[in-house]
This record gives sequence, structure tokens and C-alpha cells, in this order.
Amino acid sequence: MRIPFKTLKSTVGFFLLCSFVLWGSPAWAQSRYNGRLVLAVTSDPKSFNPILAKETSTTTITAHIFEGLTTVDPFTLKVIPNLAESWDSSRDGLTWTFVLREGLLWSDGKPFTSEDVVFTFEDLIFNDDIPNSSRDIFTLAGKQIRVEAVDKRTVQFVLPVKFAPFLRSLGQELLPKHVLADAVRNRKFSFTWGIDAKSADIVGMGAYLLADYQPGRRIVLRPNPYYWKKGAQGEKLPYIQKIEYVIVPSMDVGLLKFLEGSLDAYTMRGMDYPLLKPNEKAKDFTVYDLGPDMGSSFITFNQNMGVNSKTNKPFVAAHKQGWFADIRFRRSVAHAVDKKRIIEIVKNGLGYPQDSAESPGVGQFYCADVMKYAFDLDASRALLKDMGFTDKDGDGVLEDAEGRKLEFNLYTNADNGERVDVASIIRSDLERVGMKVNLQLVEFNTLVAKLTSTYDWDAIVLGLTGSTDPHFGQNVWRSSGQLHLWNPQQKTPATDWEKRVDAIFEAAGQEFDEGKRKAYYDQYQKIVAEELPVIYTALSARLTAVKNKFGNLKPAPFGGVFHNLEEIYIK
Amino acid sequence: MSEFKLAWQRFVKDRVALIALWVLGILYAAALFADVITPYSLRDESRLHTYCPPTAIHFLTSDGHWAGPYVRGVAMSYDEYRRRIYRETDEAYPLKFFGKGESYKFLGVVTWDRHLLSVDAPGRVYLLGADSRGRDIFSRIIHGARVSLTIGLFGVLISFVLGLLVGGIAGYFGGRIDNILMRMCEMVMMVPGFYLLLALRAAVPDTLNSLQVYAAIVIILAFIGWAGLARVIRGMCLSLKERDYVLAARTMGLTDMEIVMRHILPHTISYSLAAVALAVPGYILGESALSLIGLGIQDPYASWGNMLSEAMNIVRIQFAPWILWPAFFIALTVMCFNLIGDALRDAWDPMLKGRGDQP
Repeated sequence: MRIPFKTLKSTVGFFLLCSFVLWGSPAWAQSRYNGRLVLAVTSDPKSFNPILAKETSTTTITAHIFEGLTTVDPFTLKVIPNLAESWDSSRDGLTWTFVLREGLLWSDGKPFTSEDVVFTFEDLIFNDDIPNSSRDIFTLAGKQIRVEAVDKRTVQFVLPVKFAPFLRSLGQELLPKHVLADAVRNRKFSFTWGIDAKSADIVGMGAYLLADYQPGRRIVLRPNPYYWKKGAQGEKLPYIQKIEYVIVPSMDVGLLKFLEGSLDAYTMRGMDYPLLKPNEKAKDFTVYDLGPDMGSSFITFNQNMGVNSKTNKPFVAAHKQGWFADIRFRRSVAHAVDKKRIIEIVKNGLGYPQDSAESPGVGQFYCADVMKYAFDLDASRALLKDMGFTDKDGDGVLEDAEGRKLEFNLYTNADNGERVDVASIIRSDLERVGMKVNLQLVEFNTLVAKLTSTYDWDAIVLGLTGSTDPHFGQNVWRSSGQLHLWNPQQKTPATDWEKRVDAIFEAAGQEFDEGKRKAYYDQYQKIVAEELPVIYTALSARLTAVKNKFGNLKPAPFGGVFHNLEEIYIK
Repeated sequence: MSEFKLAWQRFVKDRVALIALWVLGILYAAALFADVITPYSLRDESRLHTYCPPTAIHFLTSDGHWAGPYVRGVAMSYDEYRRRIYRETDEAYPLKFFGKGESYKFLGVVTWDRHLLSVDAPGRVYLLGADSRGRDIFSRIIHGARVSLTIGLFGVLISFVLGLLVGGIAGYFGGRIDNILMRMCEMVMMVPGFYLLLALRAAVPDTLNSLQVYAAIVIILAFIGWAGLARVIRGMCLSLKERDYVLAARTMGLTDMEIVMRHILPHTISYSLAAVALAVPGYILGESALSLIGLGIQDPYASWGNMLSEAMNIVRIQFAPWILWPAFFIALTVMCFNLIGDALRDAWDPMLKGRGDQP
């Protein structure tokens, strides 16, 4: 007698719950508000502050929490409205007026107004106390953009000069003034929303909010109750009620978890293909191939002439800096790197050799016609000989004119197995031409620290994310850029070609004619290929294995598999 | 010396331990003569032979005639799932014994170019298969034995000298010295071994070359291992110093140090020898663990641990299971040391035989 009673009770409860959800949602949609999406990341975020973010481990998470005025259509690359519903520009292209959508609310329920846009630009991005990469993008011809609130829903941008990728750059994440104004006033913004932040304090406009972060274990996101975007029938979004990023120690662990069914998607490496592809049917998933990776993968040498202000020692030994700054040295390395075998061995043949600073995956701005360095060990040796390197003591390692061994440390992050393999192939390539290279594997965040604050490295094998508009590579390519890897944050360009690249970025940023912009960016790619501040290796094919349980899944070449996450539901 | 003889007689009666001793002897000899035994040098690679399976050795020609041992060439192709398929071609390469190959410094002194086993290029002989860059796993295991087998010995040596000294002094003098030294030991033992290993590794600067890394690992391992031994030696000393012969030595006017070194520590030898043998596996595993996660011996140098790091991937294990060979050698070595350690302990103290819970 007791069993039916219990069942009945729980059934009543169930109906109540459903009717509550049904309120305001069409009947077919009720079943979509459920479930969770489980993904894997291999690194902890360093912060939840999108302004301070420098690495993908951070931006992967902040991209869910924050949004900008515009966004880019992942199929056509056209700029489409996001938080702004429309815009207008003056005839000279210098004054832009944006009208925000009506009734936008932050995730804490406070209204989103033009003041927040002004705050993000004037008080955060252009604040000298706050180091950030966005400043490089919004500083035009040395002058900053002026942002003014016309009324609550209208905001005006006045540009000092014409700026072609302006609309695209307004994908810049916006932050809430009412939450952060105090922190900025007290000069504490750089320590705000770090990884120790309380999840409830982080307020954004994105579809998801931080629910819980357990270092080294998981990051959990919950839906933003005030999210502005509505479905086709006016129903609430997002559908999926929980996103869980499991922090795994390595890609291999991610693969195991995907195979056992505890992950919903897995970003594949080429070498995983033979294991996953034959299992598509049996394990009910699909492998999507979205073409060449948009980013880059390279080896770069430290040309920083600076001195550590604490120890008064140069960041990199003067004689090594001298080698690395010599174009013959870098060309010699470029000739010695066996890209074809890297693709065959590391990526299982599923990759593309990279020669240009832009990947073929970025679309229109890719320039194929740049200087290429064929795999040619003799050419490589000849260049070193020309520099005065000879093997005086016959031990197989070259010495320079002063008798110093051509020896340096090559860093990469130990947690990325594929990158470690690439680094060991490069190491053995360089050994063949007489360089003694000590491979040093460190944690990813240690590597980031070396690149952005301590500068104590010789050579690094690394990758950068890419963008469909080369202009956003400014923080890397401008000599004053924060991520100008080989010699960052220069006061004035150290070399003639860096000066030329600076000028190209300046000019291309003001050119509205797409054809002429392409010509500018072709020129920059040619200069980079000639001067080789970074030596490109190989790009992976973007392969993602996704379980066959999602509705509205529309993989896009420029957006990935989950670019429309708020619309995706579990079937 | 008759005590040693008696112990040895008891030891050789233990067949299993004797076999273990032989196996270890062969492994160490192989490490010593690695350059001669291996077909290829440490740096040799053939990138066209990615994950080439173990080479079959043929004796007969295709029509059934005796042709002596030879291997065939291989050709690689991908199947529809991009799996590597190796097929034997018709080219035959006879196996050469003590044939000419890459030259090396034999035992670090004489330049020589003969290899126990080799085939003429472009043929390749992979007794245990190839790794991702077509390097011979057999050759790398033998070369890697130099690191993996010696790192344990050197580490044990250092920590035993330390452990004996500290334990001996603490046990003999007792009182405050004992108290201070033992608390020090406990500080080291308090931290879980593997985390201490990682912490110490992180404290070592990251700009070392491979030889310095090797030395650093030896020192780190020794630092972790000495405390446990010191505590046991101290316990033995505490009882030994009450013996009559110690009293006799003291009456004869020997200094404290002489008594410890000459009369007390030698009596702990029975325990020490067994403990050495039983401790070595811990050091070998410590080095392997460090190299496995990429913080130990770095490519191109081989150690069994860093070779195994390539096997930390189910895709590779599935399609090239032979990359697990180093694990077999680690297990074999560890087992041999344990068997010998057990047998040594039994041989020194037959009363303990069969009582596995004794130190």
C-alpha cells in the first residue's frame, strides 16, 4: 500500500515542476531545458577577468560569461548585431553611434546601459594601471578612441582616424560598471575576478555564469537567468542547464573520458583519428573536420635586449641574443625544420605545413605567396657557416668565432604531448646541423610567465590562437605589443622591418577597401616570412568528435562546433 | 670472514635469487657494453619508420631454400582510417654479426665501429619495434639501462652513507643529538615521497643540461631515501651499544667515532645489504616516474621512464603495443632486486626466514 502513495507524490511534484517551466515556453521547448554539456580543458584558467586574459585557458571560460556589442557570423564572417541592435556611422567614418537593445539586464538583474560601455573603454581598457591586450587594438595612430554615452541606450564612438575592423573589434567583452567601479577607483581591478573570486560576484551579459570552480578539478557554468537572446519562438535561452569543464591533466585523459562516455565532445589530435573514426557508429558520435586550425604553431627565439631590473642580469645572455637577432640564424633554423615529417609523425598526416603568419583557415586574408624555406639541411649549415660557426673541437656541436658552443634551451609545455613531440623533432633537426639544444619541459602557466613577465628563455615552441581579421594580431605584431613574443613592449621599433610592420598595421587599420586591406596584410605576411621572428611549423586539422545527442548543432568553419551554444539542446 | 662465507652458501641455495642475480648481471653488462650490443646509436632515427612493428627474421628464401638469417625491407601505407600498415617488400638484407656500423667510443676509450647485430642501410632491424621517429626500441632500452640502472645505485649509495652516519651517530650518542637528528628524519619522512620528489625537482633550475639533470635526480632521490634507513640503523645501534664488546672497546680507550665506525656500523651490515637491494627498486621507480611526466631525463637521452612517456597514450598503445617494452624491463629489474634483497636477508639471518614482516 505504501508504494503507490510514494509514486503518486513524486508524480504530483513532477507535474508542478513542469507547469512552472511551461509558463512562457512553447510546448515543444519544455523538454529542452535539461541536461548538461561536459567538456574537457587541460589547463586551469588564470583569471575570470576577460580584460586581463592572455591565454586560452582563461578565454575559453570568459567567452561564455561576457559579450560585446557586435559579433561575427561564423559562416559568412559578416559582422552582425549582438548587444547593440543597430548602428550608424558619419560620412567620414570617424563617428559611430550604436543603439543598444531594449531591456538588457546584467546577470544580477541590474540594467545594462551605455554607461557600462563607456566604463569598459574609458576606465578599463584605456586605464594605464591595467595591463591589457585590448588597448593595443583600440589605440589608433597613438590616440585613443573616445567613447560617450548619448543617452541610456545610445553610445557614440569617436575615432581619431579611420579604423576598418572597428565593427569587428566591438566584439570586445563589456563589463559592468556598477560592480567594478569601486575596484577601479581603489586600483584593485588587476586583482579583481581572479581565480579566487566568489562565483556570485562575477556579473556578465553572456548565456552562462560561473557556478563553481574547483582548482584542478572542474569549472561549472549555470545559465544566466537574464540572458537577452530568445529562441525563434520567443522562448528563453540557453537550453542546456549546466556546462561542466573537467580539468584533465592531459589530452590523453580527455580521450579516455570521451571513449568511456563521460565527455560530450573531444577536440581530436591527428593521432586519435585511427582510434576514433572506426568507432563512430558503435559509440554514437560524429567526427567533424573544420579544415586547418586558425591559429599558428611555431618556434621563436628570444631577441630581448632588456635587463632584469631586480638581478641586473640580461634576460638572455648577450651572445645568444646576438645569434638569435641574426636573420641568418633564424633562416638556418627554418631550413632545418622538417615540417613534412612533423605532420606525418605527430599529426598522423592530418595537418598542413605553415609558412605564413596567417593560417589558411582564416579565410580571405591568408597570403599563400610568401617566402618558403624548403627542408634543406645543407642550406641550413651554409647559413651557420656564413655566420662564423664552425665545429672546432670535432664533437658535432658548432662553436662561434669566440669559441662558445651553439647551445641553448628549448622550452615547451609538458602537458601538451603533441607539442612535446614537435619540440623533440625540432631538437633533433637542429642537432643535425650542429646545434646543441636542451629540451626543457615546463608547465603551461610557467611558459606564459616566461613570455610575459620574466623573459628568461632562449627558444620556445608554442602556438597562438588566430583570428579572421589580422588586425587583432596587433598585440603580437606591433613592436609595442604585449605578446610581441621575441621582444615585447618596445618603446620604439628595434629593427627596420618591425617599423615597417607597425606602419602596415597602422595603415591597414584605416583602409575600408577590403582589396587594399588584403594587399597590406599580404605585405606583412611577406615581411614576417622574410624576417622570421617566429618560424612556423605545422597546423593541425581541426577535428572534433561530438556525441550524436545535440539538437541545433551547426558546426561552422570560423566558429567551431559549439559557437551557438545557447541554442543547442539535448535531444 | 667466515660469516660472509656462510651467508653466501645459504644465498646460493636460493635458486630464484640466483637466477635474479644472473638476470641483473646480464642487464648491467648489457648497459656497460651498450654500444656494441645495440644495432643503432642513441641518436639514430629513421623518420620513415614511424611505429614500425618488430622486424621478422627470415631464414629461408621465398622458394624454401636456406639463406641464413636476413630481414626484408618494409613499405608503409595508410588505410582508410589512417592507420599505418607495414608490408614487407622483396628486398632482403642479411643480418651481420659484428658488422661495421656507426662508430662509437667503446667503453668511452677506444673508437670502434662493430655492432653485435646490424643490417646494411637502407634495411632496418627492429628487434622490439620502433617508436614514433623510427628509433629502435631495443637499442634505446639498452642505452637507457645506463641511466635507469645506475641512477638507483648511485642514489642508494649516497643515501646509505648518509643514513648509516646519521643513524649510527644518533643511536650511539642518544640524548639530545638523537632527538634532533631523528626529528630531522621525521621532517623528511613526513612529506609523501612523490610530492617531495616533484617539489625538489621544481626547486632545481630549469636550465640544466642532461648530465646535470642526471646528477640532480640522483641527489633528489638520495635526499628522499636516507631518512628511513637512518631510523632503523639508529634502532640497531641503540641495542648494539649495550653489548660487551662495545664496553670493552670503550675501556681500551677508543674514541666514540672509532667505536661507531669500527664496531657498531659493521654489525648493521646484514640489515644494510638487504636493505640496499630492497631500496634500489624505489630509486629506479622514482627516476621512471619523474621522466615519465617529462621532468626527468630529456630526449634524446633515453631512460626507461622517458621512453614510457610515449606510451602514456592509448592510441599508441593500441596500434604500437611494443612501446610498452620499457615497462617490462622496469618490472623485471625491480623484481630481481626484490628477490635478491629477500634472499640476502634470509642468508644473513636464517632465523628470520619466512617472516616477511621483518625489516
